[in-house]
Amino acid sequence: MQRQSSPVTGRESQAAVAAVGLVKVYGAGDTAVRALDGVTVGFERGRFTAIMGPSGSGKSTLMHCLAGLDTATSGQVLLGGTDLSTQPDRVLTKARRERIGFVFQSFNLLPQLTAAANITLPLDLAGRKPEPEFQDRLITTLGLSGRLGHLPAELSGGQQQRIALARALVSRPEVVFADEPTGNLDSRSGAEVLGLLRDSARNLGQTIVMVTHDPGAAAYADRVVMLADGRLAGEVHDPDIASVTDALQNLAAGR
Amino acid sequence: MNTILRTQLAGAGKRPARMLLTGLAVLVASFVVYATVLAQQITERSVLNGLSGTPEATDLVVRGGEVTTGDLTAIGRLPGVAETVARAENGIPLGAGYLVIATDPGSGPLSTVKVTEGRFPAATGEVAVTPRTVERMDLPVGSTIPVKPEGGKPGTLTVVGVVQPRDDVGFLAYGSLDTLDAATGHAFIDRLEVRLDPGADARAVRDGIAPLVAGESPAEFVTGSEARHEEARAAAAEVEQLFIVVRVFVAVAVAAAGLIAASTFRIVFAQRMRQLALLRAVGAGRGALARALAAEGALTGLLAGTTGVLGALALGHPLPPAVSLFGLELSGPGLPLIEAAGTVLLAVVITVLAVLAPAFSAARVAPLEALRSAATSGAKQGIGWFRAVVGLLFAVAAAGMAGLVWRNLPAPDEQDYPAETMMLSVVGSGFLAFIALIALGPVLVRPILAIAGRPLRMLGPVGRLAVGGVGGSTRRAAAVSVVVALGVTLITGVLVGGDSIRVLANREAVASAPADFQVEGAPGSALPAGLADRAARSPEVTRVVAYRRVPEVKVGDMEGGTATDLSTAALPRLSELDVRSGSVAGLAPGRAVAAGYLELRTGDQVTVSAKGKQVRVTIAAVLGGSTPLRTEILLDPADLTALGAPVAPTGVLADAATAGEDGRTSALRALQGVTGAGSDVRVEVLADQRDQVDSALAVLMTIALALISLTVLIAIVGVGATTALSVVERARESGLLRAVGMSRGGLRGMLTTESALYGLIGAVLGVALGVPYAWLAVSAIGLNAPLTLPVWQLVAVFVLLVALTALAGVMPARKAARVSPVTALGTD
Repeated sequence: MQRQSSPVTGRESQAAVAAVGLVKVYGAGDTAVRALDGVTVGFERGRFTAIMGPSGSGKSTLMHCLAGLDTATSGQVLLGGTDLSTQPDRVLTKARRERIGFVFQSFNLLPQLTAAANITLPLDLAGRKPEPEFQDRLITTLGLSGRLGHLPAELSGGQQQRIALARALVSRPEVVFADEPTGNLDSRSGAEVLGLLRDSARNLGQTIVMVTHDPGAAAYADRVVMLADGRLAGEVHDPDIASVTDALQNLAAGR
Repeated sequence: MNTILRTQLAGAGKRPARMLLTGLAVLVASFVVYATVLAQQITERSVLNGLSGTPEATDLVVRGGEVTTGDLTAIGRLPGVAETVARAENGIPLGAGYLVIATDPGSGPLSTVKVTEGRFPAATGEVAVTPRTVERMDLPVGSTIPVKPEGGKPGTLTVVGVVQPRDDVGFLAYGSLDTLDAATGHAFIDRLEVRLDPGADARAVRDGIAPLVAGESPAEFVTGSEARHEEARAAAAEVEQLFIVVRVFVAVAVAAAGLIAASTFRIVFAQRMRQLALLRAVGAGRGALARALAAEGALTGLLAGTTGVLGALALGHPLPPAVSLFGLELSGPGLPLIEAAGTVLLAVVITVLAVLAPAFSAARVAPLEALRSAATSGAKQGIGWFRAVVGLLFAVAAAGMAGLVWRNLPAPDEQDYPAETMMLSVVGSGFLAFIALIALGPVLVRPILAIAGRPLRMLGPVGRLAVGGVGGSTRRAAAVSVVVALGVTLITGVLVGGDSIRVLANREAVASAPADFQVEGAPGSALPAGLADRAARSPEVTRVVAYRRVPEVKVGDMEGGTATDLSTAALPRLSELDVRSGSVAGLAPGRAVAAGYLELRTGDQVTVSAKGKQVRVTIAAVLGGSTPLRTEILLDPADLTALGAPVAPTGVLADAATAGEDGRTSALRALQGVTGAGSDVRVEVLADQRDQVDSALAVLMTIALALISLTVLIAIVGVGATTALSVVERARESGLLRAVGMSRGGLRGMLTTESALYGLIGAVLGVALGVPYAWLAVSAIGLNAPLTLPVWQLVAVFVLLVALTALAGVMPARKAARVSPVTALGTD
């Protein structure tokens, strides 16, 4: 089941986003920590990929670098052919606004904006008009129809995360990054959100990259990329809970 | 308790910037308080030097009694007396004006003048004049002054020098006692100033002088410092009153600082809510928590107060040497220790008062809060019913008090009107209104934001988010805006009140001084023939208007009035006359303009009579005060002629052709030249009187605005601190906005706009309160002053305030924009 990760070549043409020899070092001298130690990995267009690994494996750092939230020490981040690693903040900001969507563990909705305003926030910032049909479909699919006028504080965790998901999807970004999207949710709401993520990839052709440490969550993905000590440590295609758990155990044993 | 306090202080120690921000308003307030103490010290000490006419070296002052020149010599010989100066002054007619001659030793410690040109007079018949006198009266060094003393033979005085006195009135010469005697025939000595030898016995000298100067009335002895104090007190009575006003404004500033401090504490404690909840979860009691937070507040107050006092000292001490570089002499402030301790104590008390409510509400946190993840900043919206009821009660009380004042507003020229009580009621009502504003603020923020925010919302997402951010926590917005509103209310009040008083003063000046110069002879007598024409031909003057003024006129029942036919059309300044009814343009044969106090109405028929002749006129207009040139009725020239007035003018009004002191001086000389010496025709400089009123008003306005700027400064500090803290509080929010694609500039813009919005809300509230209250106060003061609205000044204040509050947000906004989104998202 577990295969060695194949070289990126050949696949990066299909990759929505890819890392090439990505290195990220925090601090300097004796206290320097290599959070990413030469990671090369691609994420195919229209697929739902999970990044897994133990605490401190570098999975969050990898996601932050891929999403243009953080800059790498060396190596490249290719977003649809653009190398983000050498771009100034202005370009990264524009990329985040127009080509990337986010879902966070703690929802991170703006408390003073209604659900509807939170959803259209990225479009507002980009000065783009929403596509009403797509937006309606999204809202219906996510089951948010009756909640649009509410403030985040008036909504449950699952509802808040679905609004965050709608916010990430509404601008039809090239990639949606989800950082432990179910970490703050009960299992039923979590399952709902994961199902919606999977459906977005299947039905809308949305590329999704999710960081998680929960094998149950990872099992919803099309592919799982394993990370350990800042390096790639294998991957699982068409995972289920058992195969992911196995892979994780192998990872622990191999260390 | 100790553990809790230690935890909190350790936290504060780790983030000293936060502690500084909470204490900043108090720091500024204590700086202001102590700076005021020092300023009063400097002023009082300088006033003794500056405002007192008695030289510092004077040991003994003798007033009254009878002093002759022989007595002076005898006093000079008394043991222990180093120097004696006799002070006397008297005026002589010169040209078209008067010249005052005063005595002065000219040199030595008892002299009050400095020679700037030539020399000080040494012989009888020599004088030195002041620089302005040289200009005004055309008396350069070397010129002569003809004198004709009462009962003496005519002679001349020679100008031998120019001296600078303390106050240059423009018609002042200095000479010896003998010169004064020779010029005026009177050399009545007002007072003696005696300087003693070092170590001399003042009592013995006094006892020596007493019999020498004894006359009909006994001489009065005071020491030099007593005399100086007395003079300074008299001159500085204004200064004293000024400092009473200063203290009131400082008290307002301190109260504002208290409000700001309370709001910042609330924000800081809200940030620590999870930590406080954790302490509660592990067993800290509510009381202990509240006490620890209050103790932290006290410590903040202590630090802020001490820093403020040290800051004021650091500024106050180099000030006198610094201004001495510009030729100004100020005394040092010294080190008033008791006041320093008092200021620090005040800072602690204010801070503790400010911290109490936030501390108790923070201590009420449920332990469960600690366990809640993803703490959404639970900024409370709106106000509870208790607060609403209290606010409404105060609003009703304020409105009631204002209504009471409104109903008892004085009738024009009402006698025995209790202006002071009414003004106090206005101030009291304003105070109540402010408490209501503090209580109801959060409710008022939203509607203002909805209107003021509309154009911002149109500007795009950054504006919309800023409006949303401010509206998202109306309590925080209200807490800051109320303090801005306090400053704006005070500024608006001063501007509106000052403008009304200025217009009032202007109207009075127009009636009494419609032109720069007035040329007139004895009352009712005609000017020398051709004078008006000659004046009109002088290039130095313009708008020369001849008029007739007829005394002893009976208007209706009123006897002893004065009538004039001054042409209102020829003098542009007369358009500012305080016309109560009718129109001055309606002046025509058979129609007249009446002074307000004649109690005539427009359309009334009245008989004007003089020396047996009479005319019947209809009143075309009624003025607020007297008619121009302090007359009672303004008639058409034909009517005045019908009253028997000769055709020749009795006076001429004229303006200087060019503005400024030089233009005025040359115009005065030209008019003096036209009138010529010897006649009893006098040239009066009306413009000088007008300038004095104007400059006095300008000084008062400047001082008032300077004082209010203290409150505004604290308000702006508050806005800055609030923005800074709200930036810290909402770091995650900033991070999210950056993550979903807001640029650094956008985030900066949003946060700066938010802080400008605090200013905007405050300015709207301030103007809304300030203008009505200023109008009420102007009406209640009983001066018949008009209600005016200095629109452009208010607009300028509005824009400036919003700009300043925006500026206060720039630093925190820049700081927030620099943080990377990952770091911001990771902040707890």
